[in-house]
Amino acid sequence: MTATTAGPGTGTTRTDVPELRIDAVSLRFGGIQALDEVSFTVRPGTVHALIGPNGAGKSSCFNVISGLYRPTEGRVVLGETVLPELRPHRLAALGIGRSFQNIALSMHSTVLDNVMLGRHALTHGGFLSGGFRLPWTVREERRHAARAAEICAFLGLSHVVETPVGALPYGLAKRVDVARALAVEPRILLLDEPAAGLNAVETADMAATIVDLRAALDISVLLVEHDMGLVMGIADRVSVLDFGRLIADGPPAAVRRDPEVVKAYLGTGENGECPR
Amino acid sequence: MSETALATPEFSAAGRPAGRLRRRNWPAIIAWAVVLLILVLLPLYLPPGLLSAGQYVMVGAVGAIGLTLVFGQAGQLSLAHAFFLLVGGTAYSVLAGETTQAGAERIVGFGWPPLLALIGAVVITALFGLAFAPVAGRLKGIYLGIASLALVYIGFYLGRALPALTGGASSGRNPEPFSLFGFPFTNEGDIALFGVPLRQPERLWYLFLVVLVIGYLLAAGAMRGRVGRAWRAVRDHEAAAAAMGVNVLRAKAVAFAVSAAYAGLAGVLLVLWYGLLKPDESEFGNYGLNTSIAFLAMVLIGGLGSIPGAVAGALIVWGSQQILTLFAADLGLGTALSGFSPTVISLYVYGLAVIAVVLFEPGGLAAIGRNTVAALRGRRRSDMDSSGASGRRSAPPGKDGK
Amino acid sequence: MTTFVQLVVNGLGKGAVFALLALGFVVIFKATGVINFAHGSLVLIGGYLVAISVGALGFPAATAIGIAGAGLAALLIERLLVSRSRLADPNSLALLTIGVDVVVAEDIFRRLGTTVPYLGAPWDAHPVRLGNITLFSTQLVALVVGLVLITAFFLAFRFSDWGIAMRAQAENPEAAALMGIRRSRVTATAWLVAGMLAGVAVVFIVTQDFSGIGLSRTTHAIAFAAFPAAILGGLDSTAGAVVGGLVVGLVDALSAQYVSFDFAKVAVFLAMLVVLVARPSGLFGTREVTRV
Repeated sequence: MTATTAGPGTGTTRTDVPELRIDAVSLRFGGIQALDEVSFTVRPGTVHALIGPNGAGKSSCFNVISGLYRPTEGRVVLGETVLPELRPHRLAALGIGRSFQNIALSMHSTVLDNVMLGRHALTHGGFLSGGFRLPWTVREERRHAARAAEICAFLGLSHVVETPVGALPYGLAKRVDVARALAVEPRILLLDEPAAGLNAVETADMAATIVDLRAALDISVLLVEHDMGLVMGIADRVSVLDFGRLIADGPPAAVRRDPEVVKAYLGTGENGECPR
Repeated sequence: MSETALATPEFSAAGRPAGRLRRRNWPAIIAWAVVLLILVLLPLYLPPGLLSAGQYVMVGAVGAIGLTLVFGQAGQLSLAHAFFLLVGGTAYSVLAGETTQAGAERIVGFGWPPLLALIGAVVITALFGLAFAPVAGRLKGIYLGIASLALVYIGFYLGRALPALTGGASSGRNPEPFSLFGFPFTNEGDIALFGVPLRQPERLWYLFLVVLVIGYLLAAGAMRGRVGRAWRAVRDHEAAAAAMGVNVLRAKAVAFAVSAAYAGLAGVLLVLWYGLLKPDESEFGNYGLNTSIAFLAMVLIGGLGSIPGAVAGALIVWGSQQILTLFAADLGLGTALSGFSPTVISLYVYGLAVIAVVLFEPGGLAAIGRNTVAALRGRRRSDMDSSGASGRRSAPPGKDGK
Repeated sequence: MTTFVQLVVNGLGKGAVFALLALGFVVIFKATGVINFAHGSLVLIGGYLVAISVGALGFPAATAIGIAGAGLAALLIERLLVSRSRLADPNSLALLTIGVDVVVAEDIFRRLGTTVPYLGAPWDAHPVRLGNITLFSTQLVALVVGLVLITAFFLAFRFSDWGIAMRAQAENPEAAALMGIRRSRVTATAWLVAGMLAGVAVVFIVTQDFSGIGLSRTTHAIAFAAFPAAILGGLDSTAGAVVGGLVVGLVDALSAQYVSFDFAKVAVFLAMLVVLVARPSGLFGTREVTRV
């Protein structure tokens, strides 16, 4: 496990990033076999990409990991914890942050407000303590707002923190989604198609950001992505799904040459009738 | 490349300049101070009829704040507001009242000090709301609204079935007048402000005003912080809320309970205002579905999720009815059961207002207010607000309850 | 035992009427995604038209006017309000129908004033004796009429162009539009049909046998039982609406007899809550699947 001191200022050394093991996970919806005994491991501190043609089961796999779907068989293990035994909202506290493919933000709330949602599991207080603005609640709020602002700055959002998300261009909103996932202080960051809908410049920006944040925070990143350029450029390891089966798993260079991967991409390149 | 380096979690914390994030908005603070001052001075000038109308509006406002929180902020519709009014009013009457014998019926009372009874009533109502969690946590939006209708009917039944608590539908019971550390909110004792004697109407006005201000600030504060963010996330995207650590079921249940608590508080104020707790004899009485609908109209007209909007909505929905009644004779309105009575006109007014809001300005009065303020300041805020107006959502929230 | 049979038959008769209401409610929901809070108003409009015309025209003609009027009113709500606000989502439109209901219902009450008219159904208050069982004729007629209309509805829903278009649209609006199905015609017909069903229902509701009171606020309150009926069965299931209606009728009749008349009003809603806790999408409703 790599452990570096990150960034200037008060960085700490991080040795708490566990590995994420997807262990023979199968998922069926009625008669459809969305995932068929998929296994792979996201090693600590790596950028791991999950790719595949449309309908290959990437999103299903992603949703199993993030607790939205319960696998029919198999398990997902983070360090020592078996994730599917937990309710989805417990994952944030374990250090799993995720972004969404279709921006899932509160459009009428400000950028900062959206990012602050990521602090939910790290903060306390209910209706009364928040409502009475008790001193410690206010102090906690300020502390976390400062950190959220820091994260916004990291993602190049400083100039829009007080802007409602609905008023932002798509590319920026996408970054807010990533900022919110980072606000969870994840040990592993799940990014669902972070470059979907972005233009070439924005995609390059996003790639640089992913590399930067991994370097700065020393966390693992698991991303589902369509953009091959992005994946091959930044991933340490790539897992390829096709029709719910894992057909390749290895470093990008090796996976790119894998005949089955080539076949899957060329053979079913236009075939996308399955729901994602 | 990113602009700034990002350190791992240990934040640099304490000394960070947070001032940038919390600017004081002096014009708004001054405006609120003026409004508050006017509300404090009004009882010295208003005739009793208008005083009473004002109190009624404040009761409505307290209830409406509760509904705008659960529906506008958390996206969960409650049509059970009338039921919780009844629960709050009954709980207060039982906790504060004395046990008496009315004919064959023994009416139960615990004789608590009124302040304690009021707090107890709010807590009890919240617990009733929380007991609905198995339903409130599982259903979303309008579906919960229909499910919560059941509570109104349960209230209708229990109100009649438990005369020991409610006094029964035919006579009801008189709630203990409010008093605070021995100071009664009745006509007893002589006190005066600027030479104007403060009797029951004035005292109740101030009591209701204090309760409303507390309820308002509490709601606004909570919606600005962690709870408000969690609720809005549940409203906008449940899966994202859960991914960020929000227990969605719990958030929905708590939002419903909080709204119930506000309704319960309004219920206490309502029995103090009437001087009577009386369960309904038919399904369309004071604690019936029409009352729930009136509250819904308040928050829709005010702008879903907006706390000041809820107060304005209460002014329109309950205020119009009171004021029309006061001036019915001057306006030549009938007071009979038929014809254009004040109640009928007020129902037309808010029914049509609801339709107009949905069709033309889903943000309600709150959005109109925001746009006006923006226009007055000459700032180009409209491009920000338009993102809400053109969206498909029915609920452009007030800016986080502000 | 005889009481029980009597209750079941009467309950089913009432249930058939609730089924007609719930069916209209579900049809509107399937076609437009709107939960129609103004259903009670449609009932009142139908009833009011019958009440004012029955004296001059007699019951059959007045009923025809009432049914047509309720259907037309529903059509007007759809054409003038619901279809106009394309931007608004179904939830806002549901709120809009609340506004409509407040205004329409209050206007009818104002027109009724202090009168509480019955609609003059010829079979009302003529109990039928079968052996030692006494049955309300209204409920019997309602059961027959309900069965006929419901059967006709399902046949139309299954085989007519409208039914096919409607189901296609409920299934997949975009594909239906691509196939040349005109959305506005389908939704307009849905509201029209729902309004007419409400117009039929009111003729049975406003009787001594059913509600025991003339056209009034009580009629509006009774029409609200269409909610639990539709929710019980599952909002997007026409078959569910029929089952839900019958369940509501039975629960109402049985609890009125065995517990109390007051309790019957609650029991219907309690039944709805029990079903919702066990199956949030109702007995026959489609479960919502989360997509991210």
